[in-house]
Amino acid sequence: MSRGATLSVENLRTYFYTKDRQAFVRAVDGVDFKIETGETVGLVGESGSGKTMTALSILGLNAGDPGVISGTILYGNGSFEKNLLQDLGRYVQLRVEDGWVLEVRKDGRGWRRHSERLMRGIRGKEIAMIFQDPRGSLNPFVPVGKQIAEAVRLHAGIKDRREAREKALFWLEQVRIDSPGLRYDNYPYGLSGGMCQRVLIAMALASEPSLLIADEPTTGLDATIQAKVVDLLEELKSTVRVTTLLISHDIQVIRRLADRVAVMYGGGIMEYGAVRDTLAAEAASNHPYTAALLGCIPDRRHIRDKLPLQAIEGDVVDTLTIPEGCRFYPRCNQVHPEIRERCQGHEPELREISPGHWLRCWLFGD
Amino acid sequence: MGGMKQYRQTSRQGLKVGRLTFLRAAAPRDLVCVGYGLCIALVVVLSYILGFLKLLPYDPQDMDLTLMMVPPGASGHLLGTDFMGRDILARLILGTQAYFLPGLLGITIALSLGALFGILAGYRERTADRTISFVVNLIDSFPRLVLILLVIAAFKPDIYYIMVVVGITNVPTVASLIRGKIQFLRDKNFIEAAVAIGLNTRSIILKHILWYNCRSLLIIQATLGMAEAILIETSLSYLGFGVQEPTPSWGNMVLSGANYLLQGKFWLSTTPALAILVTILGFHLLGDGLNNILEAGGKK
Repeated sequence: MSRGATLSVENLRTYFYTKDRQAFVRAVDGVDFKIETGETVGLVGESGSGKTMTALSILGLNAGDPGVISGTILYGNGSFEKNLLQDLGRYVQLRVEDGWVLEVRKDGRGWRRHSERLMRGIRGKEIAMIFQDPRGSLNPFVPVGKQIAEAVRLHAGIKDRREAREKALFWLEQVRIDSPGLRYDNYPYGLSGGMCQRVLIAMALASEPSLLIADEPTTGLDATIQAKVVDLLEELKSTVRVTTLLISHDIQVIRRLADRVAVMYGGGIMEYGAVRDTLAAEAASNHPYTAALLGCIPDRRHIRDKLPLQAIEGDVVDTLTIPEGCRFYPRCNQVHPEIRERCQGHEPELREISPGHWLRCWLFGD
Repeated sequence: MGGMKQYRQTSRQGLKVGRLTFLRAAAPRDLVCVGYGLCIALVVVLSYILGFLKLLPYDPQDMDLTLMMVPPGASGHLLGTDFMGRDILARLILGTQAYFLPGLLGITIALSLGALFGILAGYRERTADRTISFVVNLIDSFPRLVLILLVIAAFKPDIYYIMVVVGITNVPTVASLIRGKIQFLRDKNFIEAAVAIGLNTRSIILKHILWYNCRSLLIIQATLGMAEAILIETSLSYLGFGVQEPTPSWGNMVLSGANYLLQGKFWLSTTPALAILVTILGFHLLGDGLNNILEAGGKK
């Protein structure tokens, strides 16, 4: 069974105010990417690069204040297509100068009401999400099986309690939980983190979504469990074949599971392309940021020759004070005098350097 | 399908484990408290039904001037008779009528309004929270007995009026408990996860917050509310503001029997007094025991 959906995100911007409401944190700042039917797209980047905010914005979940201020999110599943940010412009007024958003006026309450209406029948049913913190995402007072059955009854067209229970048990087995019948009645505190993550995956799949957003599915689990969860996701990818947006800061996970990858930094996408072009160990042309990220991963060479691991100098860009030029400029180690001025003063465009491989860097063409 | 069948068997076992583990984990002391409390509650409910169906050993209003103040056990009166020769047991049983339904009314008011205000204050920020907190504090700051006496003076000494006041004055307690719980839960990930699987706000509040997370709290408040209803009813009746003679109430039984204490006829007022003690203790222990068992069970 192939459950396909396409998602195309254009110019998505999600901001929130600083505490004193004097400035914006540009959590997601003009993100474009596209997911085709059946494929898995990875979203990779350091902590604070806006990955989770992108996911929350797609689902219309609480993404701060003012939250989403511009963009289109086209969702299609073959039978219909819908802009999840339809009529956003009616609720938001922006004052923009030189491409900088200086002031936002947003009717938050009105937008939320409108968004709820747009998301009805989408959230959970069409797009399901797996959250970062597996145990915290389960209601602590409800047996886990019952929580899966709830998702089943809500979306899979099964209303009968016993049938929903059977279906939930089926999904518990699909995510390789031993003796599902016993685990069904366990409370979240009685399960390990890895088990909770499996339950969450079961819950997301139980509503038979067309698009799955997995937000850091392996974070917070210990290494062996991480590997097992990745195995499971890989297996599900071939059996369930659900279109997936996979968010992770772990390049290895993305390498194994994703078909294409978007590298995010400081709220913007720096590089976008097939995994084999972008994340290959000896990729020919990479964005300096991607190259730096890849340099942080130990491989056989490091172990054999006892090479030191490289770290990226500096901190993740402060999304409060994104530089005028390239976001990565302050930490970039590939700037050379010829392009320094451009890097410093002008933000590069995301351009296609080879078919299907997009880069946002002055090193590649001008 | 064979696989399915196997599930069902194992899961039935699992069910047993799942449902009973919290009882097994509970301290024996709490189980005793809850057991005792449940027995008392059962006796009260039974008494109410018996009184309602008029299935009493004697007519509680039937005066027998030849058998005034006979001691317990004499002449077929299990708990003796009062100063007018009425059967004390029958009057005790009928006495539950005085507080049972009114008490339920008070509890219903306290829980429903308390939950409503608690949810509004907890979920909506700023204005709603502040307004509700203000009203709730206002109610809380008013001395309850004065309020009850005011109502009695303004209307009539009717136990239902009194219990409405008791219910309203209990709203702040319930509201602040629920508000605290919601503010604690509101930013939890599982609430967001519930939104993400497509549940609407109403079912999240009613099902995931109120039912799954606050039900033990509400049950506990209900048992404590019943204990309080009994206490208030009996004290007011004892003071002469509550249920009026000849309708029996434990409070006015203690009052009318008190005159004969010095004559050595102690059972006239000690029997209803003991009934009050045992019953209120029962409801309190029930509430406390449930609190320890249920609240600790999920928090682990």
